[in-house]
Amino acid sequence: MPVLSLIAKEWKLLLRDWHALLLLFVMPAVFILVMSLALQDRFAAHQSVSVHYYLVNQDSGAVDAALLERLAAMREFTRLDSDAPAAELIERVKQDRAQFVVRIPKGFGAAMLGEKPQAIEMLAGPSVEPALYQLFAAALRDAISRVYLQQKLAPLAAMPGATPPNMDAATGLLHDQSLFEIGGQNKRPSAVQQNVPAWLLFAMFFIAIPLSTTWVQERQQGTYARLRSIGLGAGALLTGKLVPYLGVNLLQVVLMLLVGVYVVPWFGGASLNLGHAPLALALMALAASFAAVAYALLIANLVSTGEQAMIFTGVANLLMAALGGIMVPRFLMPPTMQAVSAYSPMGWGLEGFLDVFLRQGGIAMTAPELGLLFGFGTACLLLAGWCFGLRNSK
Amino acid sequence: MARPVSRADDNNGKRRVIEIEGLNFRYPGASRDAIRDLSLRVPAGALFGLLGPNGSGKTTLISILTGLLPAASGTVRIDGHSLPGQLHDIHAFSALVPQDYAFYPRLSVMENLRFFAGVLALPAGVRAARVQDALSVAGLADFRNARAAQLSGGLKRRLNLAIGLLNRPRLLFLDEPTVGIDPQSRRFILDAIKHIAAEGTTVVYTSHYMEEVEMLCDEIGVLDDGRLLARGTLQQLLGGGNGQGLAVTLAEVPTPAQHAALSALPGLVLDGVELKVTPTDGAGLNRVLALLAAQGVAVRRMKYGYGNLEELFLHLTGRQLRD
Repeated sequence: MPVLSLIAKEWKLLLRDWHALLLLFVMPAVFILVMSLALQDRFAAHQSVSVHYYLVNQDSGAVDAALLERLAAMREFTRLDSDAPAAELIERVKQDRAQFVVRIPKGFGAAMLGEKPQAIEMLAGPSVEPALYQLFAAALRDAISRVYLQQKLAPLAAMPGATPPNMDAATGLLHDQSLFEIGGQNKRPSAVQQNVPAWLLFAMFFIAIPLSTTWVQERQQGTYARLRSIGLGAGALLTGKLVPYLGVNLLQVVLMLLVGVYVVPWFGGASLNLGHAPLALALMALAASFAAVAYALLIANLVSTGEQAMIFTGVANLLMAALGGIMVPRFLMPPTMQAVSAYSPMGWGLEGFLDVFLRQGGIAMTAPELGLLFGFGTACLLLAGWCFGLRNSK
Repeated sequence: MARPVSRADDNNGKRRVIEIEGLNFRYPGASRDAIRDLSLRVPAGALFGLLGPNGSGKTTLISILTGLLPAASGTVRIDGHSLPGQLHDIHAFSALVPQDYAFYPRLSVMENLRFFAGVLALPAGVRAARVQDALSVAGLADFRNARAAQLSGGLKRRLNLAIGLLNRPRLLFLDEPTVGIDPQSRRFILDAIKHIAAEGTTVVYTSHYMEEVEMLCDEIGVLDDGRLLARGTLQQLLGGGNGQGLAVTLAEVPTPAQHAALSALPGLVLDGVELKVTPTDGAGLNRVLALLAAQGVAVRRMKYGYGNLEELFLHLTGRQLRD
């Protein structure tokens, strides 16, 4: 069968194209490893916030002792012990060797309830993110408020028959839980759960580069003219590209999932949870592959030169990735951008994979993304065939 | 200046493999036709040369004949099958060797041949034999495992040709098969083409190398600016009957009596010792020579017909073939 010969030829050509293999297999593997490790736990709802601070205590007495006790109870924040003078500690924070310096001024406790209270000084390092700044400031403010109230209420507590106030009683009035938490498990994407499907999809859509450059070369070299003079039409030629590259994409899926499951943990990251719906996962892989290869065939039939294919694919893929939550996870985007990202095929793919990996979804949950991807692929394929016919009628 | 092509004596009654009538073609967006009112017949078994400068329409014509381009108007029949309706049938017995290196540089010679044998859907039983035959005819047996990208220009041309032989075509279109190669490889390819034609394959061979066409082809069509300017055997085209006539330089200016006698010659132009007449064939030429002899007119020099196709082309178009 001619199509089988076309498929076998395509595999041989691809196996001898080291640049394409690097682009399709090494690039996503490296991205997955680097991004999963670099952003480890950044996405998790119960991420352990690692904050280091110096404390310069220039006061002495019961108040600052109570405050120190409160600060020590904040387990997310690690106090670094040092006898160095305040100026040097501030210098260290400037160099990002710790995020904060907290200075309790002399006489803080004594003046707290007076008319001229002294403020505790909090200094943040240059690389501290705004959210972390606010978090640490709020935590300090909370600790100071409790100590302040405790001191303020002390005379009342000392009255005969009075009960000492419990400053932590209000803690139980707040119950917090992430919407990603189901059955007590954390369902918010970890770095590996976000990055494996994200960079996998990024690489899958980059298949447009080797596919379209090969296609353009065949057209320019007259090989397509020869094949058409033999009697091969658009159907055979498009199928001869679609099938082998679909195989390449599915191989990418398998290898990158293996990287997520086995290689990332080997480097100290979390292991990828593949969910419990293998059929939905397989369908998602097939849908994303079909969309990516059909999109590549459309580009191949739109462009006239290899350079155009490279530039168009590079720009279009980066845009799709930026919009689709590949580079910045969708849940971190503002609502407007989240709405825009709903139009990115890479975004559809990512949401579909996250349905399976995180939300324990099956085919029913992934159905919208499957429909969008298969629909997008079919539209691309029809357009590619139309462009092919149009070009060859000239 | 160009003469219309005579169609009355086409092919001496031989079966025609290619019949083109009133063909026109224009590329989208172009301001003029690339093929203009072209009619042509190629007999079975001919080694037909299509000669013309670059841009004359040779490749366009081949592309129409192989179904790669649709004709705007006119009729084309290939061995009785009409285009484009019966293109599928035509593919079964014809092959195109394009001007470009139409194969895969990253595959070896053997892999390329096997691939094209595969897409031709040759029966498994004959596929290996056909590949071996093509290797042998093209002299590529020693290079079977070499990557096509590493072949010299001449070997690439041979591979290009070999692929076109895989389906043992009865009709082979060769589009500029010797462009850009060394003389040794050109010689090899021309010999191979002669061999293919000798085995009964009808070959349509386009070239802008007139020496090749003169040496190789039984019949020749001269194409320029999308029009077929002349068609015939080399002898027919270069003979004096094809417009040029007989040019004679006399030894002396003829006397009035001699002048009066010579006035009977067809299309006589006499300017001093320069005499031109236009006999239509060999018998007419004999009559001119006999009259000159009978009148005692001494001849210093004479020229009948064209020295080569370059001269013919110059006469037909006013331009050099390589312009």
